[in-house]
Amino acid sequence: MNTFASYHPAVLMLYFIAVLLIAMFTQNPVLLALALLGGVSFCTLLERPKDFLHNMAFYIPLFLMIAITNPLFSHNGVTPLFFLNGNPVTLEAVLYGLDIAAMLVAVMYWFKCYNHIMTSEKILFLFGKVIPKLSLLLSTALRFVPLFKAQIKKIHQAQKAMGLYASNSYVDKLRSAVRVFSAMLTWSLENAIDTGSSMKARGYGLKGRSHFALFRFTARDGLLSGAAVFLLALVLLGTALKETAFSFYPRITALSASPIAILAYLAFGLLVFLPFLLEIVENMRWKALLSSVPKHGALSLSDATPGKDDKK
Amino acid sequence: MNLLEIENLSFQYPDTEKKALDNISFTVKIGEFVVICGESGCGKTTLLKMLKRELAPHGEKSGSIRYHDVEQAELDDRTAACEIGYVLQNPENQVVTDKVWHELAFGLESLGFPTDVIRRRVSEMASYFGIQTWFRKNTNELSGGQKQMLNLASIMVMQPKILILDEPTSQLDPIAAADFIATLQKLNRELGLTILLVEHRLEEVFPIADRVMMMEQGKILLFDRPEKVGTQLRDIRADHHMLAGLPSAVRIFNALEVKAPCPLTVKEGRDFLSEHFGNVVDHLDIPPYTHRDEVALEMKNVWFRYERDLPDVLRGVTFSVYEGETFCILGGNGTGKTTTLSVLAGLNKAYRGKTLIGGKKIGEYKGSALYRHNVALLPQNPQTVFLKKTVREDFQEICKVMEYGKEERQTLIEETAGKLGISHLLDKHPYDLSGGEQQKAALAKMLLLKPKILLLDELTKGIDAHSKENLSGILCDLKADGITIVIVTHDVEFAAVNADRCALFFDGEITSIDTPAAFFSDNNFYTTAANRIARHLYTNAVTCEDVAELCRLNSIAQKPESEAVYG
Repeated sequence: MNTFASYHPAVLMLYFIAVLLIAMFTQNPVLLALALLGGVSFCTLLERPKDFLHNMAFYIPLFLMIAITNPLFSHNGVTPLFFLNGNPVTLEAVLYGLDIAAMLVAVMYWFKCYNHIMTSEKILFLFGKVIPKLSLLLSTALRFVPLFKAQIKKIHQAQKAMGLYASNSYVDKLRSAVRVFSAMLTWSLENAIDTGSSMKARGYGLKGRSHFALFRFTARDGLLSGAAVFLLALVLLGTALKETAFSFYPRITALSASPIAILAYLAFGLLVFLPFLLEIVENMRWKALLSSVPKHGALSLSDATPGKDDKK
Repeated sequence: MNLLEIENLSFQYPDTEKKALDNISFTVKIGEFVVICGESGCGKTTLLKMLKRELAPHGEKSGSIRYHDVEQAELDDRTAACEIGYVLQNPENQVVTDKVWHELAFGLESLGFPTDVIRRRVSEMASYFGIQTWFRKNTNELSGGQKQMLNLASIMVMQPKILILDEPTSQLDPIAAADFIATLQKLNRELGLTILLVEHRLEEVFPIADRVMMMEQGKILLFDRPEKVGTQLRDIRADHHMLAGLPSAVRIFNALEVKAPCPLTVKEGRDFLSEHFGNVVDHLDIPPYTHRDEVALEMKNVWFRYERDLPDVLRGVTFSVYEGETFCILGGNGTGKTTTLSVLAGLNKAYRGKTLIGGKKIGEYKGSALYRHNVALLPQNPQTVFLKKTVREDFQEICKVMEYGKEERQTLIEETAGKLGISHLLDKHPYDLSGGEQQKAALAKMLLLKPKILLLDELTKGIDAHSKENLSGILCDLKADGITIVIVTHDVEFAAVNADRCALFFDGEITSIDTPAAFFSDNNFYTTAANRIARHLYTNAVTCEDVAELCRLNSIAQKPESEAVYG
């Protein structure tokens, strides 16, 4: 799954904000169901098949727990199903529990996707536009943390191999950690001198520093952001006109089937399945390209040009 | 035309008696490849830092440094940052950012170039250095060699006119080092880049240098073409410390009294030997290998991997080391040498096979029993051994842990420090010591554990030739004391001198074990330069001393014969 991730960070950020905004602030069961379905399918695309089951093992119990907890504690609603310890368990509360559970799990899935797609460099890039100094600071910190960790491990091993604090008692472990940490401070300062020299040697501190990034905003980025904004506008329109408004208490409102509501549902459905669709389109295009290459041919570009094949 | 003109340059650090640089004058022409060498503390690094204005140390300075006929102080900021490139010693610490591409762009960002220009220059440089395959990687995933190559490339994107490098290969393994030097040579030859390089491993750089500067105590001792420097140095002082650091061909030449041009490379060395010496005597009589009966440590079919999902690092390692023996494990990067040591030191546990220390299974040592008068591991980076503010405090702590008596402690520390020649360093901060001094201090700390078995990881990394000879002497003494020593190293020359037996580590196992003479004469590539120079004449000459000895024997054997022919 590279298609979606290869878009410009700003576009991706916009997309995630659009989806999460709606998923987090609506109670409409159709929209939430769409968000959940879209999030799960997107996440499944991003991860290995094995992870799908791992996720399910975590999220299905979580979903059920939230869904059950609500009717146990909330006794609002006008349709009691049965009584538990003298308290009514209402239909509205049960459905509301399911709705909230769907929302939470959907949002968690979308944040998982966000974490996969928005890697550190993309976030740095976005921040760098606003505060260049912060972006460099974060970048050097991201560089330094693994270095620091590796050195701590090396020191621990070296000390252990001298028989210092090699026992497994907690007191020993703590004392050893304190010792190593104080030495690490000296080590960091010592190393920072070199890093500083290296920065100075490359002109750091001169006036008019620029900001370089590998990302380029191209036509397809414009297209995707346009599509996202358009779809979001349709959903918001439905919300603004109260066509997709929905409430559980005291009585469940009926789902509106007006054209505007249906349009909003369709728009949101398209929005959440956009990465999924893009991936499928890309796959089909790739397959089409492959099938136009003769079977014995390698996948290099020169073989893919039809003119050459004809002559062969 | 001169690129750099240095005139009567002197420099003194604050609060010191001696001048770090003493009245130095020299010029560097455009396109020259200059190698600077000298013992540690001779002022090489100070000189280099003076040449890069941004890095110049604080202190008292006199004399002038002119770059392109402009006085250094009057250089424009941009020119000074851009045109004089500087690469430091430690590959790790110079990397500033977390991504390779960002590191490459860093200098150009500082200079404020627009994105398009940066993009072009970065891609150009990445292609030239072959970085494209790891262009998008995190910098902490790179190997040492890759990091140093990245440091060089991220200087080169700024299109410097002169490149100044301070021992750039000292932390690299020989293959990565040779790669790096070859890249420098390419830059010099293809782009006409002026290069000033400080190095102590001269085998590769000596032949490609245009001129070599030998420094001593803040002064220039010699500054001439490489073939002249080698011989002139011997004439100045026959026991000069730097003589040991010269390339093997020069060292062999220096050991023999022959009137001929001095050879620099292995090829020239071979021709030189063929021309002047025969092989009536074609081998040295080396006493046969003997060992004691007791086995100090043993590995039997040991398998190890770091995590369950990762591939095996050790695949059936089997070897045994006898008591009092020096055993060298050689081999390429990432073959599992260091991992073997960590298993021997009980830091990692093998999942199959047996490891015996002193005839006892390693798992049977409980708590820190393994490290009490038994095994000591000196890790690759000696800095990791020290945690206190002075070397002495560190030593005292370890003595306390070992539960020595108060008076015993004092004498033991003095004695050990004396033995390793570091008595004058005891009150210094461990990080203030030079590479060789750190290594000796770390070794001393190991010796305070009074171990039976010493495991040494890359003992000679980043150490100059003289300190290496020094360490060889120390190892020899330790051996005489009956300590078993296992060394993991890339340094074939060091192994040839010190080992009783050498082993080649490849693909997670030991593929051959032999005495150094047999081991290196059987290898065609993985052998010492001296052996490569002399292998066509002599069957078991491994070190420079061996070759010189054989040459002398042959010239004695040849004399009557040649007189008969000419007489």
